[in-house]
Parts: sequence; C-alpha cells; structure tokens
Amino acid sequence: MTAKNLHIKIDEMKTNSGLIKNLELSIGKVVNENYNEPMGPTPMPSVTTLRDWDLTLLNKYKPFYMPDCDLCCLCTFGKCDLTAGKRGACGLDIAAQSSRIVALACSIGAACHSAHSRHLVHHLIEKYGRRYPLDVGGLNIKVEAPITRLVTGIKPETLGDLDDVLAYVEEQITQILAAAHTGQEANALDFESKAFHVGMCDHIGMEVGDIAQISVFNYPKADPEAPLVKLGIGSVDRTKPVIMCIGHNVVPSVGIIDYAKEQKVDESLEIVGLCCTAHDMTRYYTRGRIVGPISWELRFIRAGLADVVVLDEQCIRTDVADEAAKVNAPVIAASEKNCVGFKNRTNDPTDAIVDDLVSGKVLGVLILDPDKVGEVAVRVAMKVAPMRKRKNVLPTVEEVIAAAKTCTQCKQCQRNCPQDYAVPAALKDAAAGDLSKLTDLYEYCIGCGRCEQACPQKIVIHSLIVKAGEKAMYCEDNLCRSGRGAVSDVEIRSVGGPIVLGEIPGIVALVGCSNYPKGGKDVYDIAREFASRRYIVALSGCSAMAAGSYRNSEGKTIYEEFPGGFEAGGVLNVGSCVANSHIAGAAIKVANIFAKRNLRGNYEEIADYIHNRLGAVGLAWGAYSQKAAAIGAGFWRLGVPVIVGPHGSKYRRMLLGRKDVPENWNVIDARTGETVNVGPSPEHLFNVAETKEECIVQIAKLVIRPNDTWKGRAGKLSHYIDLHKRYMGVMPDDIHLYIRTPADIPITMKDEIQKILEEHNWKETTIPDPTLLPRMVRKMKE
Amino acid sequence: MSMFKDIPVEVGVIFEGERIRRNDMQVELGGPKVDQKFEIAKVKPMDQIEDGKVVIVGPDLKDLKEGGEYPLGILIEAAGAQLDPGLEGVIERRLHGYLNYIEGFMHLNQRYDIQIRLGKKSFQKGLNTFEIIGKVLYRLFKNELPIIEKLQITFITDISKIGSLYTDALASYEARDAKARGLKDNEVPEFYGCVLCQSFAPSHVCVITPQRYSNCGAISWHDGKASASIDPKGPIFAIPRGDVINEEKGEFSGVNEAAKKRSMGEVTKVWLYTAFDHPHTSCGCFEAVTFYIPEVDGFGIVHRTFKGVTVNGLPFSTLADSTAGGRQIDGFHGMSLEYMRSSKFFAADGGWNRVVWVPKEVKEKVKDFIPKDIIGKIATEDDAKGIDDLKTFLKEKNHPIVAKWTTEEAPATEAETEATPVMTASTLPISAGGFKIILTDAKIYASKVVIKKDESKTEKR
Ligand code: SF4
Ligand code: SF4
Ligand code: SF4
Ligand code: SF4
Repeated sequence: MTAKNLHIKIDEMKTNSGLIKNLELSIGKVVNENYNEPMGPTPMPSVTTLRDWDLTLLNKYKPFYMPDCDLCCLCTFGKCDLTAGKRGACGLDIAAQSSRIVALACSIGAACHSAHSRHLVHHLIEKYGRRYPLDVGGLNIKVEAPITRLVTGIKPETLGDLDDVLAYVEEQITQILAAAHTGQEANALDFESKAFHVGMCDHIGMEVGDIAQISVFNYPKADPEAPLVKLGIGSVDRTKPVIMCIGHNVVPSVGIIDYAKEQKVDESLEIVGLCCTAHDMTRYYTRGRIVGPISWELRFIRAGLADVVVLDEQCIRTDVADEAAKVNAPVIAASEKNCVGFKNRTNDPTDAIVDDLVSGKVLGVLILDPDKVGEVAVRVAMKVAPMRKRKNVLPTVEEVIAAAKTCTQCKQCQRNCPQDYAVPAALKDAAAGDLSKLTDLYEYCIGCGRCEQACPQKIVIHSLIVKAGEKAMYCEDNLCRSGRGAVSDVEIRSVGGPIVLGEIPGIVALVGCSNYPKGGKDVYDIAREFASRRYIVALSGCSAMAAGSYRNSEGKTIYEEFPGGFEAGGVLNVGSCVANSHIAGAAIKVANIFAKRNLRGNYEEIADYIHNRLGAVGLAWGAYSQKAAAIGAGFWRLGVPVIVGPHGSKYRRMLLGRKDVPENWNVIDARTGETVNVGPSPEHLFNVAETKEECIVQIAKLVIRPNDTWKGRAGKLSHYIDLHKRYMGVMPDDIHLYIRTPADIPITMKDEIQKILEEHNWKETTIPDPTLLPRMVRKMKE
Repeated sequence: MSMFKDIPVEVGVIFEGERIRRNDMQVELGGPKVDQKFEIAKVKPMDQIEDGKVVIVGPDLKDLKEGGEYPLGILIEAAGAQLDPGLEGVIERRLHGYLNYIEGFMHLNQRYDIQIRLGKKSFQKGLNTFEIIGKVLYRLFKNELPIIEKLQITFITDISKIGSLYTDALASYEARDAKARGLKDNEVPEFYGCVLCQSFAPSHVCVITPQRYSNCGAISWHDGKASASIDPKGPIFAIPRGDVINEEKGEFSGVNEAAKKRSMGEVTKVWLYTAFDHPHTSCGCFEAVTFYIPEVDGFGIVHRTFKGVTVNGLPFSTLADSTAGGRQIDGFHGMSLEYMRSSKFFAADGGWNRVVWVPKEVKEKVKDFIPKDIIGKIATEDDAKGIDDLKTFLKEKNHPIVAKWTTEEAPATEAETEATPVMTASTLPISAGGFKIILTDAKIYASKVVIKKDESKTEKR
C-alpha cells in the first residue's frame, strides 16, 4: 500500500470513544467531493470492453487495405511474403498484418503523446506540487477534462490526479503493444479495434498534457481572443542572437524564456520555435516566434539563422546535429527520448558547459534539467552570435548555377522525391541562369532532403531551392493566433441554435503535420473556403501554422480576417498537437451540454451520440506521423470521420462506407425502436482525398448526419452541391440519398432536385432520433 | 440552377455570408448615410394584387451613379386565403435571407434600418435592374411559403414619393409590435411546439405562445404559425390549446398532451408561467437562465454572455448545466430575453416582483418592460456580489420580497448542501484494532458521523 493510494472505507466501526459509520478516507488523492455524476457502465475500459462498439463501426465502415508493403520482417521466421493470399510463417495474412501495423503505429503515437504528458506531469508536480489546481477556462468551463471523464470516470482537479489517469493510459498502451507480438492477435478487425482503443487512450494522453501545461503555465484559457503572435522566418529579427527550439515539449523552452526574462535579456534575444514547441512557447510568451512546421528545419538551419539549437522531443530531424555543425551552431539536447549521442552534462557546472559550447570544443551537450538548459542556451547564444557571424551554408546564386550545371538529368532526385517534384527540369533552367522553377519549388518543398541523398552528383538540391526562394523566405512575416486551448461551455451553448436552424453547416478540424502534396497553401484555401461559408473551422499544430502563413486581398491573415471563437465562420487555433484533445473534448461536451448525457465512464453512448448527431469532420491534409495515426484512431472510435491527404494512403487502409449497400445505413429511431434508413451519413470514417478540390467536396458531404434538422440538411446540401459543381463541374450523383423530406431540399434548387428525385424513384422517410445502440430506445412513459 | 436560369448572377444559400466592401460596391441603398429607407410586408385582399408584378418607382439600379448612396423602400404585398396580417412580420423577415442569397447583393439589418450593397461585379454581369431582384424574391417567396397565393413587389427610390411611405411604414411597425405584444395566450386557439432542438436534446419540446417566446429567442408565435401552416408535419407544429386547467400557472390540456407525446412521456405537465414544480423544459441554447435563490426567496437571472459569477457564486455555465437537457428542474428555467418582455413573465411567481438580481446589461435591454416601481429595487452585479450584499440591498430598497420574509419568517431552507469536511486536521492519529495510523493533511468526509459523549447523543448533519 503506497501512501498515494491509501483509501480506507469503514462501514461501521465501534471503539471505546466513538462510533463511525460509512467513513471514507482518502489521502493525497482526490475524493472527488464535487463529482456526483453517476458512474457509467465502462470506466477505464479494458482492451475489449468497447469491442462491440468498434465492431459496429467497423461493419459499417469496412477496412479497405492498401498495403504499402506486402512483406513482413518482424521476426526471424521472416521475411514472409504475404502477397496473393499467402500467409506468413506464423499464419498471419496481409489484412491482419496491415491492421497490425496500424495498431502499432497508433501505439507509437499514443506512447509519444502520453510519454510527453508523463514528463510534463512529473516535472510540474516536482516543481509545483501534486495539489496544484487544474484550471483550463475558469468559470466558462464546467467539464475541464471531457475525454478523461468519459473514458476513465476520473474528474481530475489537481496535477496529482493526472497521475492516475496516465497510469491507466500507460497500461492500455502496453496491452496493445503486446497484442502485436508474433503469434498473438489473429484477426484483422480485432487489430482495428485495438487501434481504436489505443487511439482513444492517445486522446486522454494529449488531454492530460495540455490541461497540465495550460493550468501551470497560464496559457490562454479557452480564449477566443488569444493574442496574435508572429509567424514565419521573416518575422525573426536577424540582428539579435537566435535560440531555436525544435520539437513538442515546451519545458526546456520555458526554462530558456524564464532565464532570459530573469536576466532581462529577453528583448535582446530571439527565441523561436519549430513545430508544436513553437505553439506552446507562444502560448507562454507572446514574444516567441513561430518559425514554421517540421519541414522548415533544414532551411532555417542552413540559412545560418540559429545561433543555438535546442532539441526536445518528437518530429525532430535526426540529422539536425550534423546540419547545425555545418553552420557552427551548438546543439543542446534536452530530452531523455532524444540524446543525440551527446555527453550528459546535466550535473556539470554551467560555466564549464557554456565554455565548451562557445569554444566549439563540443558540438552539443545533453542537459536534462530545463532550468540549466535555459541558462546555458541564453548564455551561449549571447556569446556565440557575434562570433559566428551567421555562418550560412546556402550557396550564392553563382554557385547555384554552377551546381545546376553538374546535373546529368538522371532524374534520381525526382524519383525519390515524395512529392515527385520536377527537380531536374528546374535545374536545367537554373543551369541556363533561370531560377524561377527552383523558386517555385521553394513554396512546395517539404524539406525532406531525399533528393540530395539520391543525387549521384552530390548536388545539395534543397539548399539550391532555399537559395532560390530566399527572398520569399525573408518575406514570411505573418500571424498566428496563439493556441486558445479548450472550447468553453458557453461557446458550445451559443452554437446550438444556429446549428439546428441551419446557420452553421458543420465543424471542420484541420489538424496535423505538414507532409503536403503541394505546399501549405491548400490548408489555407480549405480553411478559408469553409470559414467564408460560416462553418466552424478549428486548427491545430502545423496546420494552424500553414493557415496563418497566407494573406487575403486586403493583406489580412486568416486569424485577422475571421473571429477566433467557436462560432459561425470562426477560425480557432486550439494549439499544439496535444491540444487536439480539445477538439474531441468539444464534441463530447455537446452531448453533455445539450442532451445532459452523463459523461462519466459512458463512452459508447456518447460516441453513438457524436457519430449520429455532430456534423464534424477532421482533416489531416499533411498527416505523416504515427501520432497523427493515433489522433485519427481516437476520432474513429468517437465515430468522427477523418480525411487525409494523398500521403495518408501510406497508413495502409481506409475505413469506407458503401453507399451502394442500403442496409448499411440503417439506424434505430430511439423514439420508436423502428429501423430507419438514413442514407450514407456520414459516408466514410477514414478516407484519402487526392486533391484539394476532392477534399473540399468530401468535407462538405461528410458533415451530413442522420439527425440534421431539415433546415440544417438543406444548408449542408446547398454547400455540398455548390462545391461539387464548382470543383467537379457537375451536380453530385448521390443527392437523392440525402433528401429525407421535401423540406430538406435547398429552396433555391427545388425544381432541379425534384427532377432528380423523380428519376431515382425517391420516397419520403422520417427524421429519426438516431442511434446504433438498441438499448438507447426509449419507452413511452405512462 | 434551373430555377434561376434567366438570372445573370447565381442565387443560393452559399452567398449568405458574403460581404461587399465599399471599394467593390456599385451602389449602396439605405445605410447610415440615408435617412429614409425601409422594407415592409403587407397582407392585402386577393383582388388588390397582381401576382408576379414588379413595380419600380423612381430611378432603377442602372440609373444610379456608381459609388453613391440612395434611399430605398421595398414593399412586399401578399395575398392568400390563409394569410392574415399577423404574418406580415414573418414574410418581411425572409427578405434578409433571400436578398443575401443573390450573388453580389448584401443586405443588413431590417425594417427602417436596412443597408444594401450591390457589388460591381454582379452589376457588370447584368444585375442592373430591380426587375431581377423582384423576380428572385417572387420565386423564393412562392416556393417557400405556399400560403402566399399572390405576390406583388414594389421598389421605391423616388425621393418625392418615399417620404410618405416611410412614415406609413414606421406607423405600421409600431402598430404591429403593439398588437403582437398585446396578443394574449387566452385569445388564440393554438400554440406552437418546436422540436428542432431534439436533434441534440431528444426530450426537449418548446411551447411557443403569444406570451412565451421560444427558449432560443429565434421563433415567435407568429413564426411558429407560419412554419406550422407551411409544413404541418414538420418540427414546428400546432398545439391546440385545449382546456385551461390552471389559469394562474398557465396549464393547458393541449400543451400537456403535446409535451407528453413529444417527450415520450418524460414531461407530462407544463406550467408556462412559473419556474416552480412543472416549469417549461430547457434544451441547451437558451439565452438566459432564471435561478431561484432560496436565501431571499427570489429569482436571479443570468444571460449567456455574462462574465464572472452571479450573486449566488455560480457562473452561467454551472447554472445552465443545472437546467439544460430537456428536463424540468424546479426553480430553474432556461429562457429567451424576449420572454422578459412578456406580461406573463413568471406571472404565477410574482413576475418582476420576484426578481432580485439581474446583470445590468440585461436590465438595460428590457428596462422598458420592468414595472417602474420595482426597477430600482432589483440589484445588479454592481449592487450585490454575494447573498449578504443582496439581502442588505433588498432591505435598503424595500424590495417587495422583503415583506414576504417577515411574514414567513426565514426564507425557505436551503437545499441539501454539498459535503463539507466534518473534520480537517494537519495531523490526525487514529488508533484502532491494535494498530495506529497517522494521517497527515487529512480531510474526512462522512455521510454520517455520530459522536458519543457520555450518554447524550448529538447528531450533526
Ligand atoms: S511476424 Fe509472422 S509474418 Fe512477420 S516475419 Fe514473423 S512469421 Fe513472418
Ligand atoms: S527536399 Fe523537397 S524537392 Fe527534395 S525530395 Fe524533399 S520535397 Fe522533394
Ligand atoms: S539526381 Fe542529381 S544529377 Fe540526377 S537529375 Fe537529380 S539533380 Fe540531376
Ligand atoms: S429553442 Fe428554438 S429551435 Fe430549439 S426547440 Fe425551442 S424554439 Fe425550437
């Protein structure tokens, strides 16, 4: 029995001095005195508790496998050839293997977020104590941790409470990882269910991390007017020493900012971030700069902009140290998860570390104490900056042309480029002195460097591209709204009316990474398209940065053009990756706020509610990571459809609905118990969109839900039809599947649609109180 | 879109959010720089209307100078066997949506306050005459409101003619409002029910009467009537009022039946004019919450956008949570701001005489509807931050509720209080059954603690 978990319950105790009845003692742990919500059926679900729900969804949206690789080499029986129905030495077929990889990817992602949160929580408890209160939005938020409450039944009130929540998550991740061992789970659908399970846990892991950091670091709290912060390489003042933090865990950045402020040098420094650390840094410190997504790492370093590079965790190029060495920029690794081979100097005197880095005696150090990281980074930056004279490894224009001339047009680069960019053609022009094609590539290139690796001529292709785009690069001076965190209860209440009255057609969440097929502009265009149409547009992570990187004809960024609230036409940045939890959280809160459904340990009922009622769609246009897979899986289990960009097909499978199979679209009307066919709403749970245009049309269709009021449905259809005509050139061919009563027909399209309905022999149906769970059928009370 | 094939620009819901900036506008009609502007709908006898006619009095769009601002009156005249003047407001309010459906045509505000902009691009595409605007309006009205059998539309830009029409319009709005507010629940045969919110709150039913606006504030009795007549099977439907069961509380047999049927028996009895016992249910999107404050036996009201905590220490979000979800909660009531303007506003509970605390923003909004003798006696957040302040304030101002306190002694007892620790100690040794436990920083909660002292018992609850 550890003190942490001391819990005594005495039903009755008689002693000489007193009689005690129903006494409950809890020490160092919350008794949840204010949490009187009844416990639902599934608190802390095990791997199989929600399996039936998963199978309900997976039967409606069958996995469609697109194996990226049909070999397995996970154990020494392999490699096993799994093509054409063949099974591996352990008996596994390609479907189970593909879904096993999905479950594994989701587990890695979930482990990543949860370990990040674990580190945050440990660190913050150590510094601020277990009883530090959680506060994510003051008076405007009643349900502080909707996912945690829903899944675990715990209502966390202090940092210490988060411990128990994480312990649950960690156990589940271990269970799922175990299932992926050779000779364990045999069935593809069961692997899918396990992926859903670990995805759900991932959302808890994210929620824990974000509410901990919001509470302690006093980030914007559910604030629609969170400050606008600078975004882009051009926003960095290059005359000052620059500290560049890469990764996702804000703790070392906080150490740097605190130290700089303490020494009153923060104004004479630039502290900039790349990837989600940048978001979280600016939630803490509005003078911080967001440089951009992971794909900006090479360009920033090669341009010599960073005087010190600080690495925390996740999505950091593993060759950053080599790249930094080329520009003489010292590196500080600050996370146990990414030690970069450096010597651990955590316990060394600061002066010695600073000297070693400044003199160049060592290229980098590992420091696991964030306060020490802060002091070392600031002192080194101040000293190194004047000496380094901004060593720049970008070639001159002449060198670009000279390098281009060595190109043999072998096309290896283009073949290896994940985006199939026409590098050889750009180099051909460059060799003749015309850099315009290279400059165009700057806009689209995701900075992966694969072209360089492939080039037999050893041309530093990415550097040539950056040089050609240098002017544009230094003009990247835009704005991002600092991550606002959760959506407040009041905001959710305020949109109830407009949604049922059809004024808000849906909610679109643009999340995830920057593996874009053609630059970040697509994200901006999609966000703007839907915000202009009065959808609610939520953003996070690299997508939130991409959206802020462009301006409209009036010169305004998307965050200036649209309000930052959860409202019609609102464009809200929730924050970093872990802040994605607030998007799922908002969906969960809808059920609690409007229908007063209990959340506590009541997963299945709430997911059923969200799946059938809430017109929300997630888009991860540039998803690349295992974390993105885990986030997606968490949404799938809630029944929220997710779309990914073209690279998303490498996640190996889609979850597709079949609109040609009418019986797949039956729901139960909870009012009558009768089966009602509601058509393919939503049509898919997970699918890939190949082009921006296809994606926009898909989003408009995927916000359709069985419960839509006729006003809501008419509005959704107006946009779907309009977008389909605009981008595909024709009327969609499935309109008749979405019209339940004549009132659903958008009034401006009446005669046109009536004709279609006649052609399809359409029949009127009812609008049900939809559910997939027979137990939700209500009995008329007498 | 075939319905608007002959219209030079697109027409669709998707243009609703479109904004036209000054630089992009061909002309502005109405707006802050123009004194006389209006839009009005009138229900007329059948024989006075020529169906489909569009009349333009004064210069047409193509005759107006680019970049200028001009007066405009829009007169919609409708006739139909089932139409009555009570629906004029409903017809008129559709103009906002319909005009905004037109690509490159922006409409803001309503009544005598309209502001319209025509975009240059649409003008160049051929949207250069009111004739086209009239055609679009005609088709939309006839399609969406089949109870309109005949419709005639007039646009007035002639400065010499608009003046008298403008004065007429003002008088009509005035008369219409007075009539709408004067309409009594017991003068109409039907109320209307709305279940749009069942899409998210499956057991909620709004009962909309002339004297009780919908919770969301978006649907009036007249709106309900129009919707129900267009689509009687739709989510907004007629509720025959039935017998008056309890006039004071506002209980009607028809309402009870409808509520029972539509809530699947969850709600069987609704009292429309009280927050107690069987109050109207609350879905989730209500504009304000009324909450009973037992310590002073009065009501507090808080609206959705109120920041901070109310006089009982709870913020809107918590109070809203106590009442939402389509349930009847004694002493809590989600409602629209408009309901506060009704003479039946909690009539059974004493109406405004029972209200003790409202945010000043709300007070300002509805001040004309609060009886003069009570308005100064209702506290706002400036007057009272807590219950003690409130008591002092009410006594000082001699709020009518104070008289009740003295007759009934202490105000109603508090509801079950939340658990408070019965014992708090920084260190607390317990010895029992031969071993000793020392608790540090312990709080002990118990549903019941009985402490024996000699022979006499003390119970603490
Ligand atoms: S895990 Fe199975 S399929 Fe994979 S290599 Fe081993 S035996 Fe072959
Ligand atoms: S660095 Fe750019 S051009 Fe090179 S392979 Fe990657 S995306 Fe293609
Ligand atoms: S791989 Fe190198 S040599 Fe070959 S085409 Fe590309 S740039 Fe030229
Ligand atoms: S709040 Fe408004 S929309 Fe909702 S049920 Fe009531 S009247 Fe209908």
